[in-house]
Amino acid sequence: MDRRSFIKLTAVTGTSAALSGCGNPAAPLVRFVPDEDIMPGVAAWKPGVCPLCAAGCGLTVRVMDADADVVRNGQAGVVRILAAKKLEGGPMHPINQGGLCARGQAAIQVTYHPDRITQPLKRAGNRGDGRYEAISWDDALKEIVSRLDALEGVGNQKALAFVARHAYGHRAALVAQFLGRYGAPGPITYELFGDEVLRRANALSFGREQRPTFDLPNARFVLGFGADFLGTWNSPVAQGHGYGAMRQGRPGIRGAFVQVESRMSQTGANADEWVPARPGTEGVLALGLANVIIGAKLRPADAAGRAGSLIDGWSAGLSAYTPAEVERATGVAARRIERLARQFADTRPAVAIIGGPPLAHTNGLFSALAVNALNALVGSVEQPGGVFFTPQLDVVAAAKLQNVATTAPPPALDRFAAGILSAGAAPPQVLFIDGVNPVYAAPSAWRVREAFEKIPFIASFGSFLDDTSKLADLILPDHTFLESWSEAVPESGATIAVASVAPPVMSPLHQTRATADVLLDVGRRLRRPVALPWQTFDEMLAATFGALPKATPDADTWSDAQEKGGWWGTLPAGLAAAAAPAPAARPVTSAEPQFDGDPQQYPFHFLPYPSSAFLDGSLAHLPWLQEMPDPLTSAMWSSWVEVNPATATRLGIGQGDVVEIASAHGTVRTAAMISPGIAPDVLAMPVGQGHQTFTRYASGRGESPVPLLAPLTEPATGALAWAATRVRMSRVGDPDGRLILFAGGMREETETRR
Amino acid sequence: MTRPTPRLAAAAPRMPADQRINSDLLRPLTETSWRFYALVAVFGGIVLAAIVAWLSQVTRGFGITGIRWPIYWGFYVTSFVFWIGISHAGTLISAILRLVNAGWRRPVTRCAEVITVFALMIGAMFPIVHLGRPWLAFWLFPYPSERMIWPNLRSPLVWDFFAINTYLTGSVLFLFLPMIPDFAVVRDKSTGRRHRIYRALALGWRGTPRQWHRLETAMQIMAIAIIPVAVSVHTIVSFDFSMAPVPMWQTTIFGPYFVAGAIFSGIAALLIAMAVLRRFLHLEDYLHPVHFENLGKLLLVMALLWGYFVFNERLVTYYGNKPAEMAVFWRTQRESFAPLYWTMVTGNFILPLLLMGIRRFRTITGCVIASIGVVVGMWLERFLIIVPALGHKYLPYSFAVYRPQPVEILIAGATFAAMTLLYVLFAKVVPIISIWELKAGAHVPSALVPPATQEHPLGELHL
Amino acid sequence: MPKWGMTADLDRCNGCGACVTACHAENNISTVGADEAARGRAKHWIRVERYWEGEFPDARLKFRPVMCQQCDNAPCEPVCPTYASHHTADGLNAQVYNRCIGTRYCANACPYNVRFFDFFNPSWDKPLHLQLNPDVSLREVGVMEKCTFCVQRIKAVTIQAKADDRPVADGEIQPACAQACPAQALVFGDLDDPESAVSRLSRSSRGSKLLEDLGTRPSVTYLDRQSRTDA
Repeated sequence: MDRRSFIKLTAVTGTSAALSGCGNPAAPLVRFVPDEDIMPGVAAWKPGVCPLCAAGCGLTVRVMDADADVVRNGQAGVVRILAAKKLEGGPMHPINQGGLCARGQAAIQVTYHPDRITQPLKRAGNRGDGRYEAISWDDALKEIVSRLDALEGVGNQKALAFVARHAYGHRAALVAQFLGRYGAPGPITYELFGDEVLRRANALSFGREQRPTFDLPNARFVLGFGADFLGTWNSPVAQGHGYGAMRQGRPGIRGAFVQVESRMSQTGANADEWVPARPGTEGVLALGLANVIIGAKLRPADAAGRAGSLIDGWSAGLSAYTPAEVERATGVAARRIERLARQFADTRPAVAIIGGPPLAHTNGLFSALAVNALNALVGSVEQPGGVFFTPQLDVVAAAKLQNVATTAPPPALDRFAAGILSAGAAPPQVLFIDGVNPVYAAPSAWRVREAFEKIPFIASFGSFLDDTSKLADLILPDHTFLESWSEAVPESGATIAVASVAPPVMSPLHQTRATADVLLDVGRRLRRPVALPWQTFDEMLAATFGALPKATPDADTWSDAQEKGGWWGTLPAGLAAAAAPAPAARPVTSAEPQFDGDPQQYPFHFLPYPSSAFLDGSLAHLPWLQEMPDPLTSAMWSSWVEVNPATATRLGIGQGDVVEIASAHGTVRTAAMISPGIAPDVLAMPVGQGHQTFTRYASGRGESPVPLLAPLTEPATGALAWAATRVRMSRVGDPDGRLILFAGGMREETETRR
Repeated sequence: MTRPTPRLAAAAPRMPADQRINSDLLRPLTETSWRFYALVAVFGGIVLAAIVAWLSQVTRGFGITGIRWPIYWGFYVTSFVFWIGISHAGTLISAILRLVNAGWRRPVTRCAEVITVFALMIGAMFPIVHLGRPWLAFWLFPYPSERMIWPNLRSPLVWDFFAINTYLTGSVLFLFLPMIPDFAVVRDKSTGRRHRIYRALALGWRGTPRQWHRLETAMQIMAIAIIPVAVSVHTIVSFDFSMAPVPMWQTTIFGPYFVAGAIFSGIAALLIAMAVLRRFLHLEDYLHPVHFENLGKLLLVMALLWGYFVFNERLVTYYGNKPAEMAVFWRTQRESFAPLYWTMVTGNFILPLLLMGIRRFRTITGCVIASIGVVVGMWLERFLIIVPALGHKYLPYSFAVYRPQPVEILIAGATFAAMTLLYVLFAKVVPIISIWELKAGAHVPSALVPPATQEHPLGELHL
Repeated sequence: MPKWGMTADLDRCNGCGACVTACHAENNISTVGADEAARGRAKHWIRVERYWEGEFPDARLKFRPVMCQQCDNAPCEPVCPTYASHHTADGLNAQVYNRCIGTRYCANACPYNVRFFDFFNPSWDKPLHLQLNPDVSLREVGVMEKCTFCVQRIKAVTIQAKADDRPVADGEIQPACAQACPAQALVFGDLDDPESAVSRLSRSSRGSKLLEDLGTRPSVTYLDRQSRTDA
């Protein structure tokens, strides 16, 4: 055993004498002088902000010395750096309160990923080849500036398009400001599993256009409609923390949890009672419960206020939603509806949670409004144990900027792509991509890739080459979150306002630059500069945080926030994001959910769901997450489709068999996973694998259900109704080893009694 | 001395005259046909391939085997137990038959003792072959280390170390001692370098009555001493399993069950070896059908004994009805391992009962077929003890299936080639049938020989 | 002398798997890759077992995090020929990597299947190796490894407390899994201190041990998941 080469993994002493023992005296290892003051072997803890999902959990990062391989001035060598070693949840952070989900734990691998883009790249072959050559930052910035100046020169600034992940917060505000002052349309945001429908419903019902926050620790009855709130939806760590407290945090009191869904999610597995309901009928079920509650005079109808008035027939007692009617529509027994309604109304505080698949139907808005009305009916809106709305910092106001009126509200991604592909309008000339992978995460029916390919110049800021960024002509790689100023203004997860911020935890490993700083720099270099008052991103942060209320009269909120990992508390009126105005809304009637595909030809409902490991696929490049066994199936490094056992028997499909799933828009072949927790006419497939390009760990691995999705949308918001596709399934062959499971047995009874 | 009665003549078959004995039994040492070289080349090649495979396992990592969580023992440990079991051939034949003065043992004792020694050597390799870090195997040896740490004497693996080494030492002695007079015969008949080698091996044997007396006394002591050692060795090997709380491992029956199985497989191996030798070395005059018949009867007895132990174990488990045990029980008998299980029952029980129980089938061919069945069946029995249980312990989430990989199959298979190779090489340098014992059987020994080794004709009782 | 133990509240645990990844991050567990994972070589020192019960539409599913139970009567200890698996004075089952020769007997003897073998030398695609925790040894091919209750954290806190001349506070030591768990389902502490959180939780009427009748006397107490008809 060559122990010497083995020990090299953790420490390199770097003398050529030692190296001649390693057998390579011809290339002595150069040790550069460290850039920072480092005490070896002593750990420090620094605050951080997790960027992987919208929850914005606060981190505390363990930092110690390590030897990094670097290239300085063309010379390879080693330098001692302060390196992040472990991410933990910030114990005081109001969102996650010390906890951190598996994905957050794995986030550190983003920084140390072997396939990170380490410097600016310029396309060297044909678009999409993936061949690039290195260029300097100067040249890269010159290219960007010249393109933007060219557009400005002919007055065509609106030909600049910017696609970003939807996020509140300072970065999003900066991007919007940049675009607005430049004269381009606002950023196009795209999240496959976004919550536009829920936001719209909350705006209508409660005047708050945002995701909801749940006071689970004080709840005694939680009724979930499809929301995977303990796994992947909304603010999972905060909700997980609350769930634990709801169950066993109060002596002698244990909250009950009932989940309604057509496929057992990780969250639903924890329910005391799991209620399968037909896809797209959750809203009807909610109104059935309301009908019983109102009818049995457990609560008066008008207790639901504005939220109730949005439902047609509410004040009349929802006569169309008798238990018998609702049973017919949903498949849930009338007796069960009556019982659940009474329990929901009698056990106080009770709260209903809707999210995920029920909202991803064409009638998603209706379902969300129905559940909102149900919550309002039992008095759980902004009450302990109920649903709240996190006060959100208005970044623009805090930074004392003007809201930039954009030339036109940015279109949704599907209309943006359709617009490019239609012969009529002139396509955008320049596209910036920041942290999204729409080529992967959008249905193939939208033809996003085709549309992007028509744009003459594409620049990407991401750290990795993925299905979308490999179309870029220029790559200006961002720092990862540990190497730059990170921040978040969470939309949900706490009942007080939270603005997270953290200074860089470590020096950049590579020749990357913070995108926010790059935008500010580009803005200054333009012929007609974008006049923003900050040189760097942290100056913007200092400005906004400086405006926040002080804890004590002589406190410095900015330095306090940097130490603590953020600011949280009560926002003064001027700094809180305004409530949405009450809409002049007509009451909504229930609409049957529309599905794509003829039921004869396509007998199954297709349910793509965010996987625990990868969410919408943006985390598939992290090896820890690939190897983490899926909570329900124990699968690793794999894709699968969940099939009901009776359905499988009927179609002659065995565990692990390769099956082909086809919708009217695409097909996919994957392994079948027999699962008792799914309805016989539903097939569910996790999203996350099936990237053509996404680092060595995810490229060409597994299959994605997204290309199959029908381009049905929820009419009011235009949001993709990703649960509305119908498919058919056929067996292709025997297991071929593509499904990798960690677990052996699925059930605990090792043997039946004889 | 009285002449043997006709009854005894049947028990101690008539052997050729002394001169022919010498020439027949020494011929393999002096004449070598092309078949020998071909055999050595083929089996030597297989063994070499296995060594290369093992070295690649050591350098590339244990992961090239099929071992996996949570089935951490597979083909290697199966082979280990199997070969240690085979090694009980010599003990039974030589020691027990020697002690009860069964005359028909004489042509077969050395065959048996050789099997023992080589099987032990092969089996004893596996505790090293199957180690994750075999270069540290010497830590099993109790030596005063600077870290003041000794092997853990509570561990059955450490008992294995001592037991197997003791048995190996004893068996080598037991094999070597009676070879001395034969070495002397070869010494006296050879010249040059061969003469020098055999002179050294013969340790100055002159065949004096005093030397014969010492030899017989030593053999007697060894015969008595080696039996408990053999019993303890395989009992200790069985402790490797019964000391772990694995369903269907933790049973008190494993000790006697393993010993009985070992003797069983040893007899089968001996029968095969005898049949092969008889054919290839033309020993038809020395290995008579009655030898095979007698051993065949022993095989039958052991098959019944094996069946008794298996029935006992399984009936008790069935009545015990513990969920974890019953799961492994059915897994072996009715589910995924059923084909192997019933093959084992056929090979170990049905075939020997039919072939050895029905007189008409108790021929040399019948014995060989039954023995091959037993060898296969006993290998499967070891495998079926180890693998189904490990893949199916207590927590179903952690159950798994073992899939052996080429390196394990090659090494396990190559042990048979190694055994054959060693046997063939041994038969080339040492007479495979003990010359002096054969002659001693034909000529009743003199009064100076200790009484216990006398063969007493029926009707005369000397106690 | 403290005696370390844990409780796992199955009513709080919701199966998210944060503990699994946190353990990998803290303990330098190498990722084996898809091919080796398919061959059963993945090393999840803590795993979240899941079991289905019943059939649709009455299917139920349970989660249970399982790590080394640090048994007082550990069956893995007597069988190790080189004392690589042995019991410490503070109640842990220690695995000494340097002493292990890889007979894997301990893993067979373990009823909980919590022991994992290093089938190959670990490797990390650079610069992922920069994340490695310097407080935890790297294991080479051929040795057994398993959960240690994050002994490096126990040691670090104990040493610091001793240097500060004060006792270790309850809750001051948190293994990586317990620290990451959003629902605070895992609690670690000193079972010899009757007032510690872990002691109080262990005395709960919901508490039981895994595979209790095997007599291993594990140091982990599982608090049963309740149903709606319970308190």
